[in-house]
Amino acid sequence: MIIRNPKDFWAGVMFVTFGLGFVIIAAGSPEMLDKLFGAKLIPGYQMGGAVRMGPAYFPVLLGGLLALLGAIILLRAFASRMKGEAVRVHLPFNIVDLAIGLGLFALLLKYGDTLKLSNDYAMLAAALVVAVLAIKFRPDAKPLVLILAGCLVFAYTLKPLGLVGASLLLIFISAFGGHEFRWKEVSILFAVLIVFSVLVFVKGLTLPFPVCPSIIDNCPIR
Amino acid sequence: MEGIFANLGIGFTEVFKLQAITVAGMSMTLPFNILMCLIGVLLGTLIGVLPGVGPVATIAMLLPITFNLNPIAALIMLAGIYYGAQYGGSTTAILVNLPGESSSVVTCLDGYQMARRGRAGPALATAALGSFFAGCVATPIVAMFAPPLAEVALKFGPSEYFSLMVLGLVAAVVLAHGSLVKAICMVLLGLMLGLVGTDVNSGVLRFAFGVSELADGIGFVSVAMGMFGLAEIVGNLEQKGAREVFTSKVTHLWPTRDDFRRIVGPILRGTFLGSALGILPGGGALLASFGAYTLEKKVSRNSAEFGKGAIEGVAAPEAANNAGAQTSFIPLLTLGIPSNPVMALMIGAMMIQGIAPGPQVMTERPQLFWGMIASMWVGNLMLVVLNLPLIGMWIKLLTVPYRILYPAILLFMSIGVYSLSNNPFDGLLMAVFGLLGYLCVKLECEPAPLILGFILGPLMEENLRRAMLLSRGDALVFFQKPISASFLIVSIILLVIIALPNLRKKREEVFVAEV
Repeated sequence: MIIRNPKDFWAGVMFVTFGLGFVIIAAGSPEMLDKLFGAKLIPGYQMGGAVRMGPAYFPVLLGGLLALLGAIILLRAFASRMKGEAVRVHLPFNIVDLAIGLGLFALLLKYGDTLKLSNDYAMLAAALVVAVLAIKFRPDAKPLVLILAGCLVFAYTLKPLGLVGASLLLIFISAFGGHEFRWKEVSILFAVLIVFSVLVFVKGLTLPFPVCPSIIDNCPIR
Repeated sequence: MEGIFANLGIGFTEVFKLQAITVAGMSMTLPFNILMCLIGVLLGTLIGVLPGVGPVATIAMLLPITFNLNPIAALIMLAGIYYGAQYGGSTTAILVNLPGESSSVVTCLDGYQMARRGRAGPALATAALGSFFAGCVATPIVAMFAPPLAEVALKFGPSEYFSLMVLGLVAAVVLAHGSLVKAICMVLLGLMLGLVGTDVNSGVLRFAFGVSELADGIGFVSVAMGMFGLAEIVGNLEQKGAREVFTSKVTHLWPTRDDFRRIVGPILRGTFLGSALGILPGGGALLASFGAYTLEKKVSRNSAEFGKGAIEGVAAPEAANNAGAQTSFIPLLTLGIPSNPVMALMIGAMMIQGIAPGPQVMTERPQLFWGMIASMWVGNLMLVVLNLPLIGMWIKLLTVPYRILYPAILLFMSIGVYSLSNNPFDGLLMAVFGLLGYLCVKLECEPAPLILGFILGPLMEENLRRAMLLSRGDALVFFQKPISASFLIVSIILLVIIALPNLRKKREEVFVAEV
């Protein structure tokens, strides 16, 4: 069996995974598995009947349908007649990289929890480690990784570092993800944007954002 | 007929109403709503002009600005942002050959060719005038069709609603590019993601994995910004190759007399085709512009010129997409069902403002309903009056390199998402959906059906439950009620037609070969 259409194949895999995942979480783990482990692995939600639908009914219906259609797409990928560029997936990483990246992220979050790091800092640390590793080993994924990391960093540093610090990080991290990076240009961009954001969002729209880092006691703008 | 004018009268009074407001400690009396419409139109154009930013991303980005406004002003502003973004998108399509969204893909074909021949000015003016004319016609159409439709919709029970939503989703699937099965899968995935959070009937927390922030469900804005905004930016960054911008060549704006003669017919035909197609669930601007272009290519005397800079090829789709954009408000305002991702965002905005979209909006809040409709016309007028003189400024904006634009876009998106609930979790969600959106684009799965499914998920489950409870578990109820049955039959016919090999080829031609 040769995968003739990788695009369809991986789309199928994605849909089957999501579909089955939703079904299992909603309906609970299958009995076979439970017997194997000697305990109910995933409790699931109440199914109910057609008259009184429980919380599991609609998700199982949808998830089942999604898994079925995903399987059709997946199988179709073996019989595709399309060739060449049209079916190639242009991803800067493969499925193993993606799994490792996401797994590492989750693991670091969990580890941060046991270290009694606050959730926000654990998130930042995880984002940072995964981003650095991704750029080291998969340099072509740089735009994706740095854009996503920039958003995460902004969200989780806004409270401790204020709008000034968080936007500084976001702008420099994301600008680094582009084709060319010029220190001077990005610095000017940051200066313009921060003045604009403070005036429009904090002063004009009165969004309750801290402007300065929280260690500075008497921030001139609030 | 008289009723319509009376109603539009209510709307215009609302739009021009003077309101006492307090700005920076000073209280003033201002025509606040019209001011918000103006700001919306300007901001929408400003962001919409940026290459690679379509109306969905624009609205998602600017949504937080409207949080502090009263519902009427907020919705008027959002509608303004929508037309502004669409108008800005066609400017970019003509000058840079970069469509911000699928409905301006068609404008690229001839608009860009006109620009290359040094006729960017007339192309831009044609787009503006065509859109304005279409707006003038579509506004009364909305006013005419919305009330009777709302009256019918008031009689809808849960089974009718469920079937209508099925029809809407099927229509969205039919209009998606590429594989039909993949589009259905995206709808299903969206429906399920919409179910995340507390189940209203039983109070059970579903698919939340112990994350307390997910109790209220996944934030719609985070999904839209991630799937459309972030995925778009990453896609643009991965693309190498310089853009060609025609800036110095925009010298004269006004079309020649010969041009005017050539665009009258296409604008008229485009407007009517667009208005009709926009009302269909799943329709809206996209189908309208594709349809109008194809029609014009068939009937035009200059059909040989199409694709090489025919002015008809700009006029017809621009008129059609504006007409379609406006009439797509009809299903939103009367049925509470979004027909495209932009309308899904509008529903999101209405819900944030505490308005449950549906047929009752018109009777319970006539000022809001008619004010919004009246503001559509005012907004279109503003676009023409403002944008023709401002075109030089928009062009300057286009010369700003993307490496400067995208950090700014990212910052505004991040601020917007964070302001939803002052919680970093929304930023995390946006990043997660950015990754999902990126993967979907790479695997050729269109994100638009997912967004529609996401909005309709909880509504569909609710109506399905009610319908089944009323029918005592008999699923045939959906085929026993005439209205519900006809919705379902139309859906099935649509799916069967699209699945037929012959038509499937045709559909792919429309979507692929034209571009």
